[in-house]
Amino acid sequence: MAHRKARERDMLDSVYSMLALVFILVACVELCDAATVVDVYRLIQYDISGVPFGSRLASLNHHAGSLHFSPGADLSRTVVMIPVRELNISFVTEYVSRKHPLGGMLFLLPEIFRLENGGGGKDVREKEVVKNVLLELEKLLVHAKLPYPVYFAFENDEIDAVLDDVKKNDATGQPATATTGGYKLVIPIAEPKKVASPTITNIQGWLQGLKADGDANQLPTIAIVASYDTFGAAPALSVGSDSNGSGVVALLEVARLFSLLYSNPKTRGRYNILFGLTSGGPYNYNGTHKWLRSFDQRLRESIDYAICLNSVGSWNNELWIHVSKPPENAYIKQIFEGFTNVAEELGFKVGLKHKKINISNPRVAWEHEQFSRLRVTAATLSELSAAPELLESTGGLLDSRHFVDETSFIRSVQLVAESLARHIYGYQGKNIQIFADNSSLAVNPSYIRSWLDLLSQTPRVAPFISKNDPFIMALKKELADHTDEVIMQHEVLDGMFTFYDSTKASLNIYQVASVTFDLLLLLVLGSYLIVLFSFLVITTRGLDDLISLFRRPPSRKVEVSQEKLANDNYECVMV
Amino acid sequence: MTVFHFFNCAILTFGPHAVYYSATPLSEYDTLGTSVKAALVYLGTALVKLVCLATFLKVSETDNFDPYQELLKALIGFIDVAGLYFALTQLTHRNISQNHKFQAVGLGWAFADSVLHRLAPLWVGARGLEFTWDYLLQGLEANANLVLSISLAALGSLMWLRKNKPKTLIPIIYACAGIVATMPSITSYLRRGLGWQFPKVVGFELFTSLVMAFISWQLFSACQRPSA
Repeated sequence: MAHRKARERDMLDSVYSMLALVFILVACVELCDAATVVDVYRLIQYDISGVPFGSRLASLNHHAGSLHFSPGADLSRTVVMIPVRELNISFVTEYVSRKHPLGGMLFLLPEIFRLENGGGGKDVREKEVVKNVLLELEKLLVHAKLPYPVYFAFENDEIDAVLDDVKKNDATGQPATATTGGYKLVIPIAEPKKVASPTITNIQGWLQGLKADGDANQLPTIAIVASYDTFGAAPALSVGSDSNGSGVVALLEVARLFSLLYSNPKTRGRYNILFGLTSGGPYNYNGTHKWLRSFDQRLRESIDYAICLNSVGSWNNELWIHVSKPPENAYIKQIFEGFTNVAEELGFKVGLKHKKINISNPRVAWEHEQFSRLRVTAATLSELSAAPELLESTGGLLDSRHFVDETSFIRSVQLVAESLARHIYGYQGKNIQIFADNSSLAVNPSYIRSWLDLLSQTPRVAPFISKNDPFIMALKKELADHTDEVIMQHEVLDGMFTFYDSTKASLNIYQVASVTFDLLLLLVLGSYLIVLFSFLVITTRGLDDLISLFRRPPSRKVEVSQEKLANDNYECVMV
Repeated sequence: MTVFHFFNCAILTFGPHAVYYSATPLSEYDTLGTSVKAALVYLGTALVKLVCLATFLKVSETDNFDPYQELLKALIGFIDVAGLYFALTQLTHRNISQNHKFQAVGLGWAFADSVLHRLAPLWVGARGLEFTWDYLLQGLEANANLVLSISLAALGSLMWLRKNKPKTLIPIIYACAGIVATMPSITSYLRRGLGWQFPKVVGFELFTSLVMAFISWQLFSACQRPSA
């Protein structure tokens, strides 16, 4: 009897431990099989001298909500899905400035902004409406500190369906929480880490001029410079087709044309040409500064002047030349006259803008200012008429491929090439077209188009490009094709700016049932099983058995006490 | 709470088997051994069916209804019937009445079927965050399957274990057994050939299982009367 009881206890113990193990296994919820998976791009996260900006969190695990929530609702555990088309910028401004707690923000961009969509002429009107909103939004987000994750995604059918559902749910006035069901947005990503030593890479190409025999002195040099990196609200989407993709492509085309001229000693000019593709543009032209500091003193003194290219791809009828030396300076006058003559022939205007530089102010608004600080004559050719602020006009969300107008861009390239050539070969003031259309030296539209397309699909935020990035290698190879000598310079970005990684992620959208649904289901199933049990008992054993199930305990006690009494009596009798 | 959902679907799929065992006199007569043996026979039958399907069936790329393939699948499905025959007649059972024997065998059969076909999808799928109705429908299907298995076991015991049956009822018994045995083919025809959605198919299965249970109950009690 005791044996069996011990064995039973052992069996029960093992059963309990088995059950515990099963429960532990079952409790690992697997995050697989989402209904929808979408690529999302994170808002940039950076510090300037320790002051934090941008979105400070990356991982997301909250319910989805839309803009139609009831006022005063608690959104600290909700991700607000905002289609940019319907955005009212004052909502975002209010939320950001008042520092309301929010689970996260997901901005939905129209599909036309996708990197793969080249020139979408049909939806240009739609773009205009969204353009201003996006500009303001980007400016607001880049300069704000947001303690929650902010992501950008492109609209597609699935996410539109989810948004419609969420709007319908919100319209009933119930915020989505664990008890009311709805959609859950999950981004399982690690905490963002600082980018250790962000490298900036400068690429320079050197075209040697014709040195006559017996010429002991160094030939004068003309420099053409453009910065190739960008900065924007979503670093994985910052392709900067105009700022400064247009500058890079213009530089490459001019290099190609001059390499054709310089390949033949008979047409080689008496000037060296130095091409510079610099990085670190948005950060006060940090790369240009380091590049110039690496120059030999003789080289620096031999530079006649430098032309910097900044956004020359989308202007209408006027370009600007920005200088820091006063316009009365002889050199500046010469350069400006040269450009104006060519521009007149091509049919547009060139204006001159003078901005004094302040050595004590670390802000460098134009690339030529870095040259001027080292006493090298320089000017910037740009379509912008005013100096941009820090982190402005650096190629953001809006700057995609259709932002560049090819005809005006080709005219800018012609302007630069023609003015330089006239200066080099001494044809100032003479009406000779060196790079005439339909000649072998004409500007090649397909070359320009293919490079613009490539640049419009390559996000180029400097801290996220490694030293050996394929794009940098491509630029190096292209310059090497057109010039005699290419040198790459790798530097570390100035300590003032710190960046954090995680720019791209995958968003899982799950449709979840609420806890009340599960509880209700449990109730229904429990009652179903009880009904089934009673039905089976009644049909197979009879109704009395069912009732007796609830009456057994008292009767057994009575039985036991009766038995005990009988035993005692028996013992008494025996004794 | 998706573990919750898994738990709900699990009790819907496997609860009725436990309830059936404890509610009917099966528990009083301790017929657990019979059910376990029937479950093992089902396992063996499933393996044999797998081998036959792999050998004789072509893998079709599309999801259409191919009559020849379905006919072949139905023929292989009769291996099920052979397995049930083996479980009912060849296994040694303790002294339990015929009444309880077919119930125990049917219960073990249905429980093994549910575990083999439904436990793995439930484990993998119902614990995820995403909510679908599929697993609840699967549970309802398991319930229908339980009723069908017990009816098939009842008809089987009538066919092979009972010697004196009224002559008029014999063709009806065989016809009903045939219908119940080919249920899988019928449901796959409905799903593929007619394109019914899953909830509709499950509803059909529940309805037919109740109808067949009622008919087999009537047949069983009709056959019981002469010997009683």
